[in-house]
Amino acid sequence: MSEIIIQTENLTKKYRGRAAVNNLNLQISQGDIYGFLGPNGAGKTTTIRMLLGLIQPTEGSIRIFGRELHKDKLEILRRIGSLVEYPSYYGHLSAIDNLEAIRRILGTQKSRIDEVLEIVSLSKEARRPVKGFSLGMKQRLGIAASLLGNPELLILDEPTNGLDPSGIQEIRELIKSLPGQHGITVLISSHLLGEIEQMANTVGIISEGEMVFQDTIQNLLLQSQHDMDLVVSEPESALWLARDLGFGATGTLRAGALTFPGMQDPEVALLVKRLVENGHEIYRIEQKKKSLEDIFMRVIGEGKTG
Amino acid sequence: MMIRSLSADFLKIRRKGIWFLVFLAPLGLVAMQALNFGIRFDYMKKQYADDLWGGLIDNISLFVPIALYLGCTLIASLVANVEHQMSSWKQLLALPISRSAVFSAKFTLCFILLSMSCILLSLATIILGLVFGFGSSFPLTDTIKLGFFPYFAALPMLALQLWLSLSFRNQALPVSLGVTVALVSPFAGNLSEWFPLNWPVMGYASPDKAWFISAGLCLGFIIMLIGLVHFNRKDVD
Repeated sequence: MSEIIIQTENLTKKYRGRAAVNNLNLQISQGDIYGFLGPNGAGKTTTIRMLLGLIQPTEGSIRIFGRELHKDKLEILRRIGSLVEYPSYYGHLSAIDNLEAIRRILGTQKSRIDEVLEIVSLSKEARRPVKGFSLGMKQRLGIAASLLGNPELLILDEPTNGLDPSGIQEIRELIKSLPGQHGITVLISSHLLGEIEQMANTVGIISEGEMVFQDTIQNLLLQSQHDMDLVVSEPESALWLARDLGFGATGTLRAGALTFPGMQDPEVALLVKRLVENGHEIYRIEQKKKSLEDIFMRVIGEGKTG
Repeated sequence: MMIRSLSADFLKIRRKGIWFLVFLAPLGLVAMQALNFGIRFDYMKKQYADDLWGGLIDNISLFVPIALYLGCTLIASLVANVEHQMSSWKQLLALPISRSAVFSAKFTLCFILLSMSCILLSLATIILGLVFGFGSSFPLTDTIKLGFFPYFAALPMLALQLWLSLSFRNQALPVSLGVTVALVSPFAGNLSEWFPLNWPVMGYASPDKAWFISAGLCLGFIIMLIGLVHFNRKDVD
């Protein structure tokens, strides 16, 4: 079991009595790329702001690197790099001066500026005023800024928001390379599961301020059941036959096709065999994969009713 | 830590028009008197015949309080706006630096900038007097008093404006308040001399100037502390 980097207990933030984040128990281990998922307004940014000490929790505790955030805030922040929502920058300054303004506070080596610019491939544009940068470049500058202090933990809030596909891919590759190369733990939030799936090994899904799922990405994918669609010559009698066999209870007839949720291989084989024996003609058997978005929506839905 | 933050702040205010303002204000005040004296030089020279330097300094001093109020307002707002503009607070305050250090650095920055304006005012006054041929025995102490006594008495305004400018993302409120105060301040002369808006005038002109200057320094410090405590506690959006 690797060391736990972030642990929150019953973390709650209320705005005028309404809980934006409610009893959140977050747990992130060293070397993880933790995908923090949820629809817009679910409380992701609020949680991240609390983790960075930007806002005070109403209740609950936050431990980072095994220390209480409210007691050792500066020591903890020294080991964290962060990017919160849309990038912060000083538009009238060049990329180098933007990083220099942060470096003066961190007190790191000057050479580190060139290093982080190299990592996010902005070295060529480093002397231009940042206000002329594209959104992707600004976002990369934000990541460069977060890496400036050689952090052990990187907290990135929606780092790919508003980027084009190539920009998203660039940032994704960059983030994936971090734990391997530098042993950094990453917390990355997003409202897109498909994007997180390609980077993260652990996910936490938050909905209306509450954690509704927290486990490895493999376990999330296991939750996906596949539908089996059959197109046959006489669908109605075929459905009766399936019900006789005992697995037609959940089967439905839609637009001339039979749909059976979560059917296993032996069951498919048995059904096909019996259908052929009874003189049905089988035109097509299709496996319908549930998309990640479906899983995502279902997990969020369960969280609401549960 | 405050020094680090301050050095970052000096970098951030480049090319923001802040330095321009620091130079413009004192030179503008002196240019106004250059005009005043230049147009009716013989008349003015006769009127202040027994103390030419004193006449010049008195004429400038009439406009120093209002310039100070405007200066505090604009400098505080411009300094705060550097962070507000691209919502850099969340990035800045997630760095390993205490909020007290950030706030103190901003206050120190404003204080240094306005001090430079005040030094420039003293220098420009001397230069103008020399150009007019008021004699080389210029009253150095008086010009320095002109630069700094009203300024110290106006520090509560600087502390208040910085606090408001840092607290509100929308700068309309602090700037309107500051401009209103500046415009109203000449008419506050009818009120008690202890009314705070009169302190910069009294800090230069009153025989009890030491009291008004001390009051300014104390109240300025108290308001700064209140602002600091508030800044330490507030949530950053």
